[in-house]
Amino acid sequence: MGFFLVMKAELVRTWIVMRRYWFRTITGMIMGYGMLMVMIAGFIYSRPMVGSAMSKIEDPMAATNFVLGFIIGMFAFGVVGMFTQGLQGMATTGVLEQLCMSPHGLITNFMAQTLVASVTSILSSSVMVFMVTFTVGGSLHWDTLAVVVLLTLTFFNLIGFGFMVGGLVLVFKQVGQVAFIIRMALFGLAVFAREEVMRQAWFITIPLHLLPVTDAAICLKYVLIKGQVDAAGEHLSVFQHPSFYWLVANCFIWTSIGLVVFRFMEDYSRSKGTLGTY
Amino acid sequence: MSEYMVEMEHIDKVFKTRHVLQLDEETRRRRWYKVNKVHAAADICFGIRRGEIFGLLGPNGAGKTTAVKMVSGLVRPDKGRVMVDGLDVEKKRRQILEKVGVVLEGTRTSMWPLTPYENLMYYGNLKNVRGGVLKGRAHDLLDFIGLKEKKNTEVRKLSRGQKQKLAICIALIADPNVLLLDEPTTGLDVQSSRAIKDRIIEMTRQHGRSVLVTTHDMHVAQELCDRIGIINKGVLVACKPTSELLDLFSDQVFSFKVNTLPDSAAFGDLPGVLGVTTEQSADGPVLMVKVVSEEALRSEAIYGVTERLRGLGCRMVSINQRQQNLESVFLQITGEPLQDAEEKDDSGTDAA
Repeated sequence: MGFFLVMKAELVRTWIVMRRYWFRTITGMIMGYGMLMVMIAGFIYSRPMVGSAMSKIEDPMAATNFVLGFIIGMFAFGVVGMFTQGLQGMATTGVLEQLCMSPHGLITNFMAQTLVASVTSILSSSVMVFMVTFTVGGSLHWDTLAVVVLLTLTFFNLIGFGFMVGGLVLVFKQVGQVAFIIRMALFGLAVFAREEVMRQAWFITIPLHLLPVTDAAICLKYVLIKGQVDAAGEHLSVFQHPSFYWLVANCFIWTSIGLVVFRFMEDYSRSKGTLGTY
Repeated sequence: MSEYMVEMEHIDKVFKTRHVLQLDEETRRRRWYKVNKVHAAADICFGIRRGEIFGLLGPNGAGKTTAVKMVSGLVRPDKGRVMVDGLDVEKKRRQILEKVGVVLEGTRTSMWPLTPYENLMYYGNLKNVRGGVLKGRAHDLLDFIGLKEKKNTEVRKLSRGQKQKLAICIALIADPNVLLLDEPTTGLDVQSSRAIKDRIIEMTRQHGRSVLVTTHDMHVAQELCDRIGIINKGVLVACKPTSELLDLFSDQVFSFKVNTLPDSAAFGDLPGVLGVTTEQSADGPVLMVKVVSEEALRSEAIYGVTERLRGLGCRMVSINQRQQNLESVFLQITGEPLQDAEEKDDSGTDAA
């Protein structure tokens, strides 16, 4: 019950801020759309310079792939960012100390905050994905159940990873700066992750599988872009796709690791006297 | 049931701080940093009764904020036990958080894009308060603290004093039994400071809350607190009711207003006289005489000073028992003026 109460509070707060600063919200979406279009255009028109390697970009499906990767990357960037820069920001403003004083506990508060932020991000990103896809002449295959399941798993995957990094930030505030590099790496991975990449040697693919965003991006692209059709041209549900199993396994692993590390570090930061402060 | 709402039992807390060094003075070696141990609490024991305002007084870095954070469970003591309403903070932290309201860094704890009312609704939910109870309490608190007119103004547009008032409302939204206020009036103008002090006293008396106030402002402590603990470098050097603390020292200093200042060294040999200083006040020269607290010896000392003044040809205009304030109490207890203690703390022993 406590979780839903906190989530309601977060939802109301987010809604108020979005509505009160509506100009900023709309500007953000327009800028996101513009940025994506500029990047796609940049890729397409730079083709003469980079040669035939970029030929696939001209293909609407490849462009859609890129856009979707970009959005998933932004999602990963945002979720993990909640636990790093977001946590640092709250510590700097003093809000974190009040969150620490909530009887629901820091984990519940963060989980609710991130969930609300993610839903908001997914909604606005979906609008952008459809707009950009429509503009470049691509198309998306919609499967509600698959998309909801995949987004949920992706969320818990990322939140687990976020909790782990966030736990470190609670004690070692400077980790937040290092975490920015990790976020960038996750972002890049989401953009470029595709099934073809996973056909490399095991010592490349295993670490890629273990990262929280690789299989999530592959699965989402498989559903939304390929319409759950495999390389042989036959329909194969995403729930039977190897990446889906990696995603489920990762989800349990990262969530468990994240929660354990966060709880341990929260406890440790209480001993160190750094809980809630920057 | 214990008479104390909050109890700190033999609390020890040491923080390790890193100081970046180019050259270690002790070893004469170059190092990246040096680890210093700072005692933020050394065997601290005190209790706060129900309906009492307890002040923790001390310079910056004395360990006041650490004490507040230990009561709220934000910092874990190395040794000892903190109890709130009979519950151990270490073991029952979540239950205790429902009984405790905290104002730390008051002006910044609120969400600035939201209004005071929205802030109270948000933090109320976080504190497990909901529905009609929350709405009613939010309105009552804003009315009580004097923010009713500003309840729909974004916090970022409020003055510092108003933000501080809001922070107190946020701390009170769950109707806690214990309120912890860390430097509640720092940086406020006289009017806002007065208003906040009045509200703190009012709510303590009306609702029987226990309040812990930390401050380095002697006047705030003197005006607000029923009892005061003086903390310096993590050590609780005194803990008494405010009036008793003032009385304890007020009978020791007497001011002799004279027509001309004698040499203060001429009084050093008198029995019962601990020290003599001279001052040039607006009303004329004054001889400040510190005497022992033992009554018989004290009378003898005052008589001796009077006789010596006469012998030196000084005409005595009046004798007054000097009204002590906490500034001088702090000086006498710790042996150093408050400002000096703060400067020393700022130079490398910051405990909190």
